[in-house]
Amino acid sequence: MPTAPSSTDELDVSTLRRESRRAMTDVQHLFAFRLAGLRGRARHAAPIALGVIGLVTVLVSVVPAFVPEYDLTRRDVLILLPSAFVSVVIISVVSAATSGGGRELLPRDQAVAFPVSPTTDHLGALLMAPLNIAWLLQCWAVLGATSYAVGARGTLPLALLPVYLWLFTATSMAQALAWSVEWLRRGPHGRLMVRLLTVGAIALAAGLILTDNVTPLLDRSPTLKIAVGVVAGMNGGGLQWGGVVGMLIWLGLLAVVVGAWLAARVARRPARDELRVESSSRTTRGNPASDLVALLRTDRAGILRSVPMRRGMAVLALFPGLVAIGGSFRWDMLGIFPGLVASGGALLFGVNSWCLDGRGALWRDSLPVSPRLAFGSRVLVLSEILLVATGVTLVLAALRAGLPTVPQLVAVLTAAVVVTLQVVATSLRWSVRRPYAVDLRSSRATPAPPLVMVGYSSRLALATTFTGLLFNLSSQGGWATPLLLAVPFVVWSATKLWRTSSAWTDPATRARVIATVAS
Amino acid sequence: MTQPPERPASTHASTPAQRTAPPSGHADGASPASVVDVAGLWVRFGSVDAVRGIDLEVAPGAATALLGRNGAGKSTTMRVLAGVIPATGGRATVGGLDVRTQTLEVKRVTGYCPDVGGLVPRATPWEHLQLAARLRRIPDGWEERARDLIERFDLGGAAHRVTAGFSHGMGRRMSVILAAFHQPKVLLLDEPFDGVDPLGVEATMDVIADARARGAAVLVSTHLRDLAVQACQHALVLRGGSAVAEVPADELRGEDGARAYRALLD
Repeated sequence: MPTAPSSTDELDVSTLRRESRRAMTDVQHLFAFRLAGLRGRARHAAPIALGVIGLVTVLVSVVPAFVPEYDLTRRDVLILLPSAFVSVVIISVVSAATSGGGRELLPRDQAVAFPVSPTTDHLGALLMAPLNIAWLLQCWAVLGATSYAVGARGTLPLALLPVYLWLFTATSMAQALAWSVEWLRRGPHGRLMVRLLTVGAIALAAGLILTDNVTPLLDRSPTLKIAVGVVAGMNGGGLQWGGVVGMLIWLGLLAVVVGAWLAARVARRPARDELRVESSSRTTRGNPASDLVALLRTDRAGILRSVPMRRGMAVLALFPGLVAIGGSFRWDMLGIFPGLVASGGALLFGVNSWCLDGRGALWRDSLPVSPRLAFGSRVLVLSEILLVATGVTLVLAALRAGLPTVPQLVAVLTAAVVVTLQVVATSLRWSVRRPYAVDLRSSRATPAPPLVMVGYSSRLALATTFTGLLFNLSSQGGWATPLLLAVPFVVWSATKLWRTSSAWTDPATRARVIATVAS
Repeated sequence: MTQPPERPASTHASTPAQRTAPPSGHADGASPASVVDVAGLWVRFGSVDAVRGIDLEVAPGAATALLGRNGAGKSTTMRVLAGVIPATGGRATVGGLDVRTQTLEVKRVTGYCPDVGGLVPRATPWEHLQLAARLRRIPDGWEERARDLIERFDLGGAAHRVTAGFSHGMGRRMSVILAAFHQPKVLLLDEPFDGVDPLGVEATMDVIADARARGAAVLVSTHLRDLAVQACQHALVLRGGSAVAEVPADELRGEDGARAYRALLD
């Protein structure tokens, strides 16, 4: 593998060109290295998963064009496209900025042995950006909407090209912005400055929503130009279409170069947030009053003292709530929010719960405590964290949702409990079945390999959204209906949890999990 | 999965000709009831046999070193004795308790320092001690002994710091404290000297000596022959998951010992 240039190397155009070529070659090496590391089922599942993502992308780009025009006309959708294009940037920025600069192609602890340059890191993060279900869903929605708006005509590929380019450009711009945020965060008073910026952004968004200025602002969005490019493409291309395509290519490449430059600046600053937490002292508390309290304390510390977990949970609690406020969701639609929050929370750590113990897992398992109690502690901690985040989201969402009827309130609260149980049961089953050795100290780490995370997130999102929608509908049948509906869900999740707990009590299963996460 | 034989036919240390010392730690050949008693231990991971029929006995007050190259089966043996992984075959008892069927009780009488890490990243050393004290039912007043150990291992200034920021050596020292502070009947130290400074090594030696003095059985797994010889009276040399020699530690001392040990590894 080629080596990265030293900081003392002269920087000129030829050096930059050489570095770019190196970085691209390195990305190929690292990607091949990651693929070579896949074992067993994952080895076959990875190409299938990538194939499915590609196939879905093609389908959402083509099929909606053949859907007959309905109440929501093609023209209506075309008008909404500029706003949809903005949403891609927002989701990309939030994903990349909260994860400290996007996902790593090679985890930090493994990368230390190789001379991975910041440019390689940047390109790797760009490559990994699509392996994020929130990003994928947003992109598929935008492509599907464009396809529907254009309709079945021979110029569909021309109309879609600006959108595909926008997805690349928006992601590159978001990645560059995420590096800027990370650079700021790692600087003097960085944490405070980023928090102030976040509060400022939230205040600005709230101001725009409260003064009903969101729509006028979106009407003036620069993404209108992309919609113009779509229309031009629909009409057979031409100069206007070429102009938009050229501009998007130029902007996208510029964002990649700027991002690489910013990534190099970030690499020169230590991750202060993580280092501060890792070297922090904690006030001593009294001795725990029971075994369960002792276990809960340790499990909670693993989450609440982790920078990426805290950041992730804050985003998960606040972001959907703000979306609900912005979208003026009514109570009969709030049932889907608990599922989104719970799924997101579980994807932070829950799907590989034991990795929070890291290399301390072996020692913890050598302590004389019932495996079922240790398992119960994980269940409680994961449940309480998800319920708190869901609670914050629902409180925010309720601010503009008006007054609920009793059945609506019961439906939303029951949905929150049911999907939390559902997510906890599923997450812990995955944690026991497929553990991964992951160092979650880095904000950029994920509890499972990125492709696995896409699978996990899609399955969780599908199950919880379906459940949420069912509970939304159940509110129409009186307050008792959601409660009755909850019974089979709760029994199902409880049974799943009990089975997983029984698997955990098997010494061979436990040894496999512990040995994996501690390795 | 094919079950391994209860007793493999060719375990070197099991053959009387190759036993150059009694299996217990008592040089006079007396054989008090062994605290650690392992016979034909077999551990298989998938298609790999990590441990292939090891026999081992450690008497009260004795210290035995497990020596061998990487992958020899030392850590796996320690993990079985700590109740962390189940054996595939053979018999292992600790303090008269069957590791396979009385795992929880075995965990109560052992103190285990794992070979890797051993610390929960976001908890402090004191919180580790509080967790261990609670789960091990150590009566009130344990804090004094814990503080003493922390000071002896020169971790007084870091007792309330999150362990994620610990150096490797600090982590090792803390792991030894966690293994020893409840004064277990069996002390299992896996690579306790790895990356540890001379003061830490000295403190670990003291912990081993203290454990022996109160009648505990000690097992030390290490690559460092010199330190193993210093800490233990007996050594079991493992190769490819099998025991190839069981010798008095003194026989592995000095240049001659180094040559003898080297010969056993090949």
